This record gives sequence, structure tokens and C-alpha cells, in this order.
Amino acid sequence: MHDMAAQTVNFIDLNILSISFLFVVGFIGGLVSGFIGSGGAFVLTPGMMSLGVPGTVAVASNMCHKFPKAMVGAYKRFKYGQVDIKLGLVMAVSAGGGVWMGINIQEWILAKWGQAGSNLYVSLSFVVILVVVGGYVFYDAWKTAKSGGEEKVCALAKWLQSINLPPMMHFKTANVRISMWFTIPIGFATGMLAATIAVGGFIGVPGMIYVLGVSGLVASASELVIAFVMGFGGTIKWAMHGMVDIRLTLIILAGSLLGVQLGAIGTTYVKEHMIKVVMGTIMIIVAVSRGLAVPQYLKELGFISLSSSTESFLSAASFIIMCIALAIGAIIILGSMWKAKRAETAKKAEMVLEKTYV
Amino acid sequence: MGSSEANKTTALRAVAGRWLRKVTAMMTLRKKQADKQAAETKASRPSFSGAEAGDGGPAGRDRPPEVKRKILVVGKGPVFTTGVMDYAASLAERLGYDILAMNLNPALDQAVKFFSPYNQRLRAKFAQQARRAWETTEPALTSQGIRCEHVVKFEDVARAVKALNHEIKRIDFVITDAGIADEEITGEIPLPVFSITGYQGDQKVMAREPEAGRKKLMGRTIALGLGAAALYAAVFLNSDLVMKYFTKGGIYAALPVATVFIFSFVHGAFASNLWSLLGIEATKKVQPQVSVSRPTPRKRPRLQLRIDT
Repeated sequence: MHDMAAQTVNFIDLNILSISFLFVVGFIGGLVSGFIGSGGAFVLTPGMMSLGVPGTVAVASNMCHKFPKAMVGAYKRFKYGQVDIKLGLVMAVSAGGGVWMGINIQEWILAKWGQAGSNLYVSLSFVVILVVVGGYVFYDAWKTAKSGGEEKVCALAKWLQSINLPPMMHFKTANVRISMWFTIPIGFATGMLAATIAVGGFIGVPGMIYVLGVSGLVASASELVIAFVMGFGGTIKWAMHGMVDIRLTLIILAGSLLGVQLGAIGTTYVKEHMIKVVMGTIMIIVAVSRGLAVPQYLKELGFISLSSSTESFLSAASFIIMCIALAIGAIIILGSMWKAKRAETAKKAEMVLEKTYV
Repeated sequence: MGSSEANKTTALRAVAGRWLRKVTAMMTLRKKQADKQAAETKASRPSFSGAEAGDGGPAGRDRPPEVKRKILVVGKGPVFTTGVMDYAASLAERLGYDILAMNLNPALDQAVKFFSPYNQRLRAKFAQQARRAWETTEPALTSQGIRCEHVVKFEDVARAVKALNHEIKRIDFVITDAGIADEEITGEIPLPVFSITGYQGDQKVMAREPEAGRKKLMGRTIALGLGAAALYAAVFLNSDLVMKYFTKGGIYAALPVATVFIFSFVHGAFASNLWSLLGIEATKKVQPQVSVSRPTPRKRPRLQLRIDT
């Protein structure tokens, strides 16, 4: 395993531009993941690769920044009483199985159809899962917002909670009692998605909300626990192969630790369905971005023909849209935080007026 | 706040009012400082009429200091709820009483906890917080002409009230803030006690962040920022050496993992302090509860032995 690093890896030289890019994306990624439990990785990995970082190093360095970020975010949100540690750990165990399965599927596809096939598989999973799940999350957020911001447990979760299939587990913070068997597929899918597209939370959080019946706030907070466990395991694996570029990791971490705390604080300001709004929006835009990448892989596999200018246009558009997804998420978070803060200040001023005992 | 709680408060005020009228009358008669006629008028007049608040109050407060009677307001923790303070203020104004406010923290009782410098530090911190909070409440009271004093004690409710009743004379009755349970008000208290349990105000009287605390926060943020900067400098100035060992793989994997942990502790703490310093802090402790109607466990049919006859 020592020789692997020597063979494949050439670590890049850093300049001001690349450092600022990593710092800013780290900050915004941190902000989003502090708020919705995951995110940022889908821009950071391709972003690093566009700076000339080899794919494996990009994945490894990203993972190495992910787990301390998740740890800090989880700690912060634990202090606000939003984290269900037991739920996070139970999910993380089955997510481990999912990661293993996801890697195996990837390797099988890689062996059968080569790199383009693997990329196509990744992009298609992105598009299908993000459109379906993200669309539903967005629809639900819209429905909640329309009905006055009151979150309700969906019928599926209610039905599953009523099934008494031992061992039953009670998650205190989440206030949910459900059979362990229903948590396993969610955790497994989270792990599989994490191994495929690096953002397991896109299925973990909606899974916890709509299948287990956990509130959006607790689901996104507990996702940070899952991210920590998976990121920690993944980092050890990659670091043992010498793939972690600690410089990249530390620069991203400098931004993301600031962002993740701001995102966590943000959850205490805004209405609960805002988490779903941000998540749904980001997922749909990312799906569009990945959808634009699909023709390129289809061409590589020989299914369609594409001019090189179209191809480069599509890939540039795909990356830019991805950055836009993250930026829009950050803008929604900061905007709603600012609005909530302003409303609170106004209320306080009103109270001071009332308190003059006239 | 529901209307039932508002009713509760109204009922409570009525009871307290009736009792107070009696006490006021008795005290005034005994002192014989005011003439009998005036005393009778005061006793017979409902003290809670709005008209009296304006004219009767200041007159009562012109009495010499030794006859000043006091309402003792007891609260657990460094702040009082707006509900109890509003109530005490309106009572004091109408009756011409002083307010004696006492913040308690029985958890720091030295008789219970072993004496330690840490306990002392916690006490000092609590006292400081309570004083800061009181500083925000006091001006509103003094502007109404109510004289008030503030005490901080570290005993349980009964002992603290008893001790205070010895130290400071003329405490007529006690109003306890929300957060003090009925069980804590034992027979040891030699005074009548009223408890505010219903409406407690929209929010606690906010303690302004102590100036000293802010300075300390600033100091801590700067120290952590320098620490984080030093760590970054250490890695990036020796990046060749760092990259050589950190990418060796195998057991050297511990190096990057340990590094990110150290960085996340220092830089994470710095980031947290920085946001606090900038005034961006969590507004409410959120404990979301999504209510689900739980299915009642079904009773299993049990086998029963029956003999058909």
C-alpha cells in the first residue's frame, strides 16, 4: 500500500487562487452541511479535480475534512438538543455496510464498462435519486410552508412505527419508536449513496424524515453523526494508502469549521421547513448539473456522437451549475437567518417598550 | 398564554389584595403615625383600583425609612421572569412598599458542596450575572418611585428567607418566582408566601452580557485565533517535511487524522468564539417534538381453561 502513493499521486502546488477557492467553497459547504447535515462534498471533489488534484487524492482529502467538520457541527447542534446520537450511530453501522456494497458495485462496473461506464453510473444515480428524492423534499417543504410551517409525520412513517417487529428501538431525542429493521435499509442506502456520489445525506436525511418519522431538525443533526463515523472510517482507509493531502484538507477545514457553526446556529433561527427547502433546492439543481454531464459519458461509451465544443460547454456548465447550487443554498440560509434575526430584534424592542410599566 | 392562566393570575391577585388590605390596615393602626381617619380610608379602599396607583403611591413612600415595608421577591437563577417583576412592581407602587429582590442558587451552597475555589468562582459568576440582570430591571422600578434592593444568596428558599427576615426587618410577605416548587416553601418560612405559577411573562428579563465577560471572550478568541494561526504556520512553513511523512501511508495514517483533530479543536473553538463575539448566537434551544399517536399495545388473547358443563 505504500507504493501506491508513490506511483499515482503527484500533489499539486498551491497558489493564492486555489487557496482562496478552497477556503470559500469550504466555508459555503460547511454552512450548508451545518444546516442540512451534508453537502459541500459534491462541489469540493470536482472543484479540487479541476485544480489538477488527482481524483483519489481529491476524494481522500475531502473525506479527511468531512469528519472533523461533522464532529464540530454535531457537537454544536447537540448543545441545542437536536442530535439523536443513538439514531446516528445505529444508522452509521448499517451505512458502513452500504459503503462496502457501494464500493463493490463501483468496482464491478469499472471492471465491466471502464471509467466512462463508472462515471455514467455515478451521474445517473445522481440524476435519478436527486430528482426523485429532492423533488419530493421540495414538494413537502412547499406544502409545509403553505400550511403554516407545521411539520407533520407522514403516513408511511406512521404506518412503519405502528409495526411491532422486534427489536424495537426508542430514539429519545427524535421521539420515535420504530423497529430496528426499518432503520437498516435507510442507513444502508445512505452508505451506498455516500460511496457513489459522496453525499450520503441526500438520502439519509429524507429517509429519516419520511420513513422513520424523525423531524427535519433532528434528522439533519443526526446525519452529522453518520457523516462523522463514515468520514472517520473512510479517512483512515485513505490515509493508510497515503492519499490525504493534508494541506488541501486544512485549507478547506479553515473555511468549513467557520461555516458549519454558522449553519448550526442558523437552524435555531429559522422555521423547521427551511431545512427541507434548502435541501430540496440544492438537490434539484445538482441533479440538473449532473444531467448535463451524462451526454459526455454516453459519447465516451459510443452511444451518441458529440462535438468537442458542445462537450466542453456541457462540462463547464455542469460545474458552474453545481457551484450555483451550493451558493443558492448558502444564500437561502443566510437570508432566512437575517430575516429571523431582524424579526427577533424588532420583537425585543417592542418588549422593552412594554416593560416601561407606564 | 391561555386565558385560564390569566384568570389564575387575576384570582391570585385578588387573594393577595384582600390579604394585603388587612395587613396594611393593621400595620397603620398600630403605628399611629398616620391619623386614624386616613388609616381607615386606606384600609377600606380597594388598593387595586387604578386611580390609587397615581396619587396614593408617592404619598405612602414619603414615610420615614423605618416604617418602609417590603415585598420580598425570590427567584431561582440569575434572572426574574417579567411576570413576577411586573406583578411585584404594580403591588409595590399601589401599596407604597419597597421591593427586595433576591436571586438564589442553592446548588452552590457550601454546606452541601465541598468548599472549593471552583465553587467560589461559580458563586462570583452567578452573583455577577444576577447583578447585571438586576441592573436592567432596576431603572424601570426606580422610575416609578419604588425603592429596591438586590440580594444574592446561595441557600435554599426557606433558609434564605428566614435569614433575610432576621437581617432586614419589615418584610411583609414573599412572592416566589416561577421555578420554585411548592415543596420548597416549607413551614420554616415565617412569612406568608405567594407564588406566581401562571403567566410568567413572555421572556425572562435578559441579562446583558457582562462587559468583563465580553472582554474575556475577546481575549479567548484572540488567543485561539493566534493558536490556530500558529498551527497553520507550522504545517505550511514545513509543508515539504509534512507531506513527506503524512503521505507515507500505513501507520503514518495516524498523522493526518491526529492533525485534523487538533486543528478542529483549536480552530473550531476559535470559530465558535468568533461568532459569539460577532453577536451571532443561537436564539432558542430547540427540542423539536413531532407528536405521533402511539398505537396502544394489543392485549394478547390468553388461553383459558373452561369446563363445559
